[in-house]
Amino acid sequence: MWFIAEDLINGILMGAIYGLTALGLTVIFGVLKVINFAHGSLLMVGMFVAYWAVTLSGLHPYLALILVIPIMFFFGYYLQDIVIKPIFKAEKDVREPITVIIVTTGLWYILDNLTLLIFGPQYRNIQDNPLRGKMLEIGGMFISVPKLWGFSAAILTALAIYWFLQRTRMGRAIRATSLDRDAASLMGIKQYKVYNIAFGIGTAAAGIAGVTLVPFYNVFPSVGVLFDIKGFIIVVLGGLGSISGAILGGMIIGVIESVGPQFMTATWTEGIVYALFLLVLFVKPSGLFGVRYDW
Amino acid sequence: MTRENFQKLSAALLLIVSFGLPLVLRSPTYLHILILLYLYAYLTTSWNLVGGFAGVLPLGHAAFFGIGAYTSTVLFLQYGISPWIGMVLGGIMASIVGVIIGLPTFKMRGAYFALATIAFGEGMRVMVENIDYLGPFNLNGPRGLQIPPLNVGLANLMFVNKEPYYYIILIMLIAVLMLTYTISCSKLGYYLNAGGEEPEAAKALGVNVARCKLIAMAMSSFLTALAGVFYAQLTLFIHPKSVISLDLSFEIAFIALIGGRGSIAGPVLGALLLRPVSDFSRIYFGHILPGLHLIIFGTVLILVMIFQPRGLQEPLTKAYHRLLDRLTEKPTEKE
Amino acid sequence: MKILEVKNLVKNFGGLRAVDDLSLTIEEGQILGLIGPNGAGKSTAFNCIAGVYPPSDGEVYFFGEKINNHNPWDLCKKGLARTFQIVKPFASKTVLYNVTVGGYVHTEKRAKAEEKALEVLKYIDLYDKKDMKAGKLTIADRKRLEIARALATGPKLLLLDEVMAGLRPTEVDKMVEIIKDLRDNGITFFVIEHIMRAIMALSDRIVVIHYGQKISEGRPEEIASDERVIKAYLGEEYGVS
Repeated sequence: MWFIAEDLINGILMGAIYGLTALGLTVIFGVLKVINFAHGSLLMVGMFVAYWAVTLSGLHPYLALILVIPIMFFFGYYLQDIVIKPIFKAEKDVREPITVIIVTTGLWYILDNLTLLIFGPQYRNIQDNPLRGKMLEIGGMFISVPKLWGFSAAILTALAIYWFLQRTRMGRAIRATSLDRDAASLMGIKQYKVYNIAFGIGTAAAGIAGVTLVPFYNVFPSVGVLFDIKGFIIVVLGGLGSISGAILGGMIIGVIESVGPQFMTATWTEGIVYALFLLVLFVKPSGLFGVRYDW
Repeated sequence: MTRENFQKLSAALLLIVSFGLPLVLRSPTYLHILILLYLYAYLTTSWNLVGGFAGVLPLGHAAFFGIGAYTSTVLFLQYGISPWIGMVLGGIMASIVGVIIGLPTFKMRGAYFALATIAFGEGMRVMVENIDYLGPFNLNGPRGLQIPPLNVGLANLMFVNKEPYYYIILIMLIAVLMLTYTISCSKLGYYLNAGGEEPEAAKALGVNVARCKLIAMAMSSFLTALAGVFYAQLTLFIHPKSVISLDLSFEIAFIALIGGRGSIAGPVLGALLLRPVSDFSRIYFGHILPGLHLIIFGTVLILVMIFQPRGLQEPLTKAYHRLLDRLTEKPTEKE
Repeated sequence: MKILEVKNLVKNFGGLRAVDDLSLTIEEGQILGLIGPNGAGKSTAFNCIAGVYPPSDGEVYFFGEKINNHNPWDLCKKGLARTFQIVKPFASKTVLYNVTVGGYVHTEKRAKAEEKALEVLKYIDLYDKKDMKAGKLTIADRKRLEIARALATGPKLLLLDEVMAGLRPTEVDKMVEIIKDLRDNGITFFVIEHIMRAIMALSDRIVVIHYGQKISEGRPEEIASDERVIKAYLGEEYGVS
């Protein structure tokens, strides 16, 4: 029974990290009403940026956040501004622009393969990793230290984004746009600026997620794919647009993944995740915490 | 000569050239490339029935490809049933699965629908990778199924040379194009287009939108499964990652989108333009610049979506019509 | 003979009662007008009748048959057609294509559907634009296209939802002519309208609703002089052309 408890805890920790990876996706969806299929690639880019930041500067991975966050923010900001905005403008009347989804899929392919081209397919992990393999022993259970750090980062990031959306002016503008973009723009809120910033925040969140993963996950060009689909599942589970939903949805997946293998093969666990996903889509598409959007 | 005659002549020429090509082109490598080209044109045209005419974005069509491939292969290996029959059975299976998937998903909004199809596709792949036996049928999990090249001949859809495969897929492609054309001129075609563009208005005009989409899905999945059988007999080896892959689903959708979904020529044009790019960059740049063709795909996709959202078929068709005007005389107005 | 009978229609959206105990009848060959300020529940009533969503309570009878839970497409086949307040043309298709979709209701053959469509287009004076893409039409033409499509389905009862909105006075007059002519040819009309000039000229009878409830009913002259109606709406809310 102890094993279940250990798996449960590690599952919750990893789950929070999954939630962190999905956080950006849910913010982008909540505001732009677009499912960003390139999200996994952004995560991968975040991991690469974190990897190089640490390797070149010798900083502790979490200190590298100082570099990673602004780099990723602006990367996302300009990506939205240059590549995605033109489509929005072309499809101004469409409530839910499908073309944008297609474009983000194209982005996914470009980012993943460009990275492959430039950096090669080999797996990388940071040398002299201060967090590697560290375990904390609590009452006979072994808790992974890097995951503990990741958990904290996830909770802090979620709180930070929540605070930003609730307490700052831009945050309010973002929330207004996500509720009714036409009304918001009539009030003088620059719709595309809001989109850019939301995309920047989402990408920065992916960057933070990258930093949390780098201490215990290999870095390679197609690493994003694993998290991409999982990200969608988490976000739909928790409710598109809901921050707490993303973290909680992530934890559910994390727990299924770590407790599941006690009872069945790892790939059947994967199957259960898909089945759960489909169940939510059919039964309660707005997810556990999602708001019924006026589609 | 008149426009009509010119078009008929061009079509005839095209047919003659495509049927005559293997007699001129003896290299099996080039034939193989052409076979795959026609296969993708076939796949994108079949996809178009749902992704183009019905106006949704299915990203899990490889599942039907896999159903076809696995159904006929298992039946062939275990029971000696001819792949031609396997095609029919695989097609029916795929249709049933397609309708089952369609029933709940067609009610969803665009992005959710796309996600659900991805989930179905991946879920099916996971399932096939994990089970060795589905009832009495041996699927052999991730190791895949191999077809030993014995008993070659038309009855078993197995040939030593590439030529017979070439003709089969060419005929399949022509058939599916004709089918698409017929549908687009029919009540179903009109209803699908209406339902895809403005579902509320269509319903008020007598269109049972959901039922039309399901019919389109049943057809599309049936046809896609046939291609899966063909592929299995072509390569004589199938495994989940090759026939039920997300990459295949995406590639089909990409090509159709770039070419122009919703039109008849679009998917074929897309395949004609993009497959050579893919083959070329893989053969010549494969080791120095891996994944180059995917970068090109992605870039072209984005550019097309920004500048020509109806696909490349739009400017190309316009240019074609202008060319026709220059070369032929206009038919006299009959009104 | 009563084509449409609405008995005690109620429609709730969560806590909001959009239509409250609405009853009305339409005789064959009549033009019934429905007026009321924005948000009064007119389009909601239409949607309940046309099968977009079922009523929360009450009954709707079409030719004596209860149609409470019917689908819009089944109703269309039975002869009940409607237009939309915000026009929904199939923008990427030609005018002819648009109307042909309607023409397919009673046939499987393209030739027959197109024939019907061309007939309607000639009647409604859109024939010259039959090969234009619907998305490129002016708003007046789009409104006519909306009616043309519905006409091609061969309706016995046509629900028009604010077809006059956005039209110039001359266009309004033309539209009134068309509707009257169609009525003389056997189609019954149920019309929601804000433009007084049109609704007064068209309607045999008018029903007035406010906050989902019927507050008056009668001939146009009676309504125009009804104190309740005048007090509540006329002169304030409508653009009297």
